[in-house]
Amino acid sequence: MKKLITYIVIIAIFITGGTALTGCYVSSKVANKSGAQLWGENCNRCHNAPGPGEFNNDNWDIIGTHMQIRANLTKTEVDKITEFLKSANN
Amino acid sequence: MRKLLPLIILLFLQILTYAQDASTATKTSPGSNKFVVYGNAEMSFMSNSDSKGFGEVNFKPIFLWRISPKLFVEAEAEIETGEGSVNLGLEYANMNYMVNQYLTLHAGRFLPKFGAYRGRLAEGFLNRFPSNPAGFGDGGIGASVETGFGALGALPFGSMKVLYDVYVVNGSHLLTDTANAGQFDYEAYIPNNKTMAVGGRIALVPFAKSNLEVGFSYQNKSGTGDLGTVNEKVSLSMQAVDLNYFENIKPIKSTLRITGEYRHQKVGDNAVYLKADGETQYSFANSPSAWYLSGSIRPSLVDSKFFRNLEIAYRYSNYQRPKDAPWGGSNLTSNEYALDYWLHWNSLLKIAYQVKDQEPSTFYASVVFGF
Repeated sequence: MKKLITYIVIIAIFITGGTALTGCYVSSKVANKSGAQLWGENCNRCHNAPGPGEFNNDNWDIIGTHMQIRANLTKTEVDKITEFLKSANN
Repeated sequence: MRKLLPLIILLFLQILTYAQDASTATKTSPGSNKFVVYGNAEMSFMSNSDSKGFGEVNFKPIFLWRISPKLFVEAEAEIETGEGSVNLGLEYANMNYMVNQYLTLHAGRFLPKFGAYRGRLAEGFLNRFPSNPAGFGDGGIGASVETGFGALGALPFGSMKVLYDVYVVNGSHLLTDTANAGQFDYEAYIPNNKTMAVGGRIALVPFAKSNLEVGFSYQNKSGTGDLGTVNEKVSLSMQAVDLNYFENIKPIKSTLRITGEYRHQKVGDNAVYLKADGETQYSFANSPSAWYLSGSIRPSLVDSKFFRNLEIAYRYSNYQRPKDAPWGGSNLTSNEYALDYWLHWNSLLKIAYQVKDQEPSTFYASVVFGF
């Protein structure tokens, strides 16, 4: 039990510390990336990137959240990518 | 324990404070509960000197609910025919709470990111081959599906990112039957003793263009045998290193993709098994490892639609098994060559030839439709 608690504490320190540290530390090169650029880079890392127009806007929201979990994307990345993908439907 | 409790409470309050951050807070509006089903279907054919025929048919629907911008449920059912009958399984059912843009908490049955192959790159439309690398499929080693809770996310550091996953789960069960002594059930639905496993993965995406990911995974469980048995306190420690890289090479108008992974596990020396006579006890050094390296190239930038949908791939894999295990005895190597044709971004035809130790060389073909 003590071991488990130690692990949980280490995990919590890592997450909170990391979150606090990185909240203001994204390079301008990354911050200025467009949704199209993030789509090409992040989707293709594991699979062929689905084209804009493949799904409707509601489905892109769902799939974006799924990928946030499966591929460890940040919310900012997901929002930019889904906005880009939705643009073909508008 | 008492000294640690205030610290734990403080840390989790800190996490929840981030959840209230104005930049990440999102209002829920009526009709925001959204649902979709997608997944893939797969069928394979194999031929070698021992057998020939159409084999496994798999149907894997994935159910996704976006209850609100912060609440999300994902579940996958798996319907397979590989063992001669229809098997229905719950691959995962995972509830997620998006705390902020860097942190997601989740609980349920989920695919732990232990390594990158199982649970991610093995997916039908990601794997360029109809088979698994030696030591990475059924009868292989390493965590597969787990039940418990965890946290995951990504932390940007300048132009690079650190991806993290940490979890507390029931963990693997030690098998002690004659044929499988020393192997593990990595997909158990319920716990077999009072011990839990702790694990996680840290991955680095070092380049701004996110085309390289290198991960390190670890999982430990101090007791893996059934409660009340002599093996109750047999430990299991597992590690994995994985690599995933892709690059568009403009001079040859092609996309190069390289993936690889090394897995190792160490089982406690206090494990005791029974021989087939049911009386004779024995033990053995149980420290298997497996690795693979795969490369593929696809002329994805050429004008011809036919050629840009072709992809060729090669994979080498090696499985080092315990010498004295009933399922061990010698190392296995496998060389696989594949020619794929992409019908859609998530649908393809695969043709492959596999040369593997102790098995006849095999021709495989499969079709995968993502939906």
